[in-house]
Amino acid sequence: MPDHSSAGQQGRPPRRGLPNLGLGVGLRNQHFAYLMSHDPEVDWFEIISENFIDNYGYARRVLERVAAARPVVMHGVSLSVGSTDPLDWDYLKNLKALAEFVRPAWVSDHLCWTGVAGVNTHDLLPVPLNEESLRHVAERVRQVQDFMGRPLVLENPSSYLEFKDSTISEWDFLSELARETGCGLLLDVNNVYVSSHNHGFDPEHYVRSLPHESVVQIHIAGPTDCGRYLVDTHDQPVPAPVWELYRLAQELTGGVSTLLEWDANIPDFPRLVAELRKAEAALRGENPGAPVRKSLAAAAVSNPVGFQLAPSDE
Amino acid sequence: MSEQRLSLLQHWMKAVVTERGNLDEKLRAAALRHGLSAEDVVAERRGLCARERLGIYAGGYVLRLLECMRADFPALRGFVGDPVFDAFAKAYIITRPPRAPSLYHLGADFPQFLRETKPSGERFDAGVSAMLDLPPEIARVERARAEVMRARGAEDDPPPAEPLSPFAIFGEGLTVEATGCLRLLELKFPLVDFLKRSDRGERPDPPAPRATLVAVGRSNYRVLVEEVVPWQFAFLKACERPAPLYEAVRDAAREAGEETPQVLAGVAVWLPVAFNLGFLRRVV
Repeated sequence: MPDHSSAGQQGRPPRRGLPNLGLGVGLRNQHFAYLMSHDPEVDWFEIISENFIDNYGYARRVLERVAAARPVVMHGVSLSVGSTDPLDWDYLKNLKALAEFVRPAWVSDHLCWTGVAGVNTHDLLPVPLNEESLRHVAERVRQVQDFMGRPLVLENPSSYLEFKDSTISEWDFLSELARETGCGLLLDVNNVYVSSHNHGFDPEHYVRSLPHESVVQIHIAGPTDCGRYLVDTHDQPVPAPVWELYRLAQELTGGVSTLLEWDANIPDFPRLVAELRKAEAALRGENPGAPVRKSLAAAAVSNPVGFQLAPSDE
Repeated sequence: MSEQRLSLLQHWMKAVVTERGNLDEKLRAAALRHGLSAEDVVAERRGLCARERLGIYAGGYVLRLLECMRADFPALRGFVGDPVFDAFAKAYIITRPPRAPSLYHLGADFPQFLRETKPSGERFDAGVSAMLDLPPEIARVERARAEVMRARGAEDDPPPAEPLSPFAIFGEGLTVEATGCLRLLELKFPLVDFLKRSDRGERPDPPAPRATLVAVGRSNYRVLVEEVVPWQFAFLKACERPAPLYEAVRDAAREAGEETPQVLAGVAVWLPVAFNLGFLRRVV
């Protein structure tokens, strides 16, 4: 694999030429009423693309208002770029139509597959990481980028298993994918932390090994410690180890857009913003986080999606 | 590893995640179909065995989608209680795994699934048997509300240049159509009040069976469920495509078995209400 250390990045435009939007949060139904009557308070918003495709209700009205005031990024969960099913061109057409409406700063999804044989599990399933799957994913990323007419930004997922067929580390896989296709990277430092705990690799090494000029955005979130493994629950404040990785990633990238994910037990908007503002303290060298929350419940669910269906009428 | 191998691994893991049964049953079904065991596929590290790692995905799959089903059908959940709701919702998720990119479509077939899996037989008397129709009917209305929430409404229509005069319908050239979000339902129970009370967090008694016609629409982004009489229902149905008003009235009268002048008189009074409820729009 090529050397992607920062010293080797001289002269390339950072972030694929995309802007540093500052500090943002996900646009969630639970905050619609607040956002329709208050200043957004944050620098930018990320939407779950699938929530707004073919949605002409109140959610779209809120999106219109928010997008008029702040930059918006479209973050998808159903591209399934790692699947061996054919690409879903109807979905891509809808995604492109939404992008024409929203005019997002960029469009992102995950290095994962969500299903096969026509089924969509609505989970972000891990891809076996080897040369053949790299060829497969790279070809699909190129097709998506050609169709969308813009670079795709791909996020590292949290994972709970590794395949015996894997021969490449996730950081090398993503690095090569970015080099081959020109896609951007969405570095979720919480997912790095969760996966490193579950698989036993060094999270700092992961962050240091990525091509930092390709990193367009960072996700931060709070996981749950279920005893022998961590789950990416997005329902907690960001813990101390994740803030450490965040500070390191911002140092190595030179500063990229930051997005706080909070998708279950969602706090009210002012408390969400207060959590986001801790990123400023982290960048000053402080660590504003608590330990990872421990849960005895066996039912911690990764990638929560229930928030996507909460009532959103006025 | 070839693309064939990648496909095999994905089909195997999809079976482990989505098949019916507990994890052992899922693994057996996946092994039978694809010739792979958990140990063949999954690396074991840090004290977590392959089976436990797969269990995180298999358990998360159902719980994640169950949470969505609960969000989509709150009145039904409140009526039947969590154990019954969860049992049917889990059975639905396993029987009809989702295929659409958006979770919005997840519950689309749930009312039909409840109808198909409704207990039946001679062991129930007529009263009990009728009440078994209630859960699918509640699910139908809740699904309709979810659809109405997202469909195209009339909120972006430009305001009419002139307010509708009470005599406008007698004039020439007034064309109306149903808004894109209008849903018309023929129900076996009167559910409007039941839903209102459920929405307020109450536990209303189940209504007695009674054939009911309902229109679900949206006005200023508020979803409204209204009981309508047969000629109103027929009139809204006649407006599903843009129709000159008098034509729609005539069709509605024929459909409802009423005299055209009677329906015309009713429409004269009710038309502004139908506009305000977001059921209809004027075609300019």
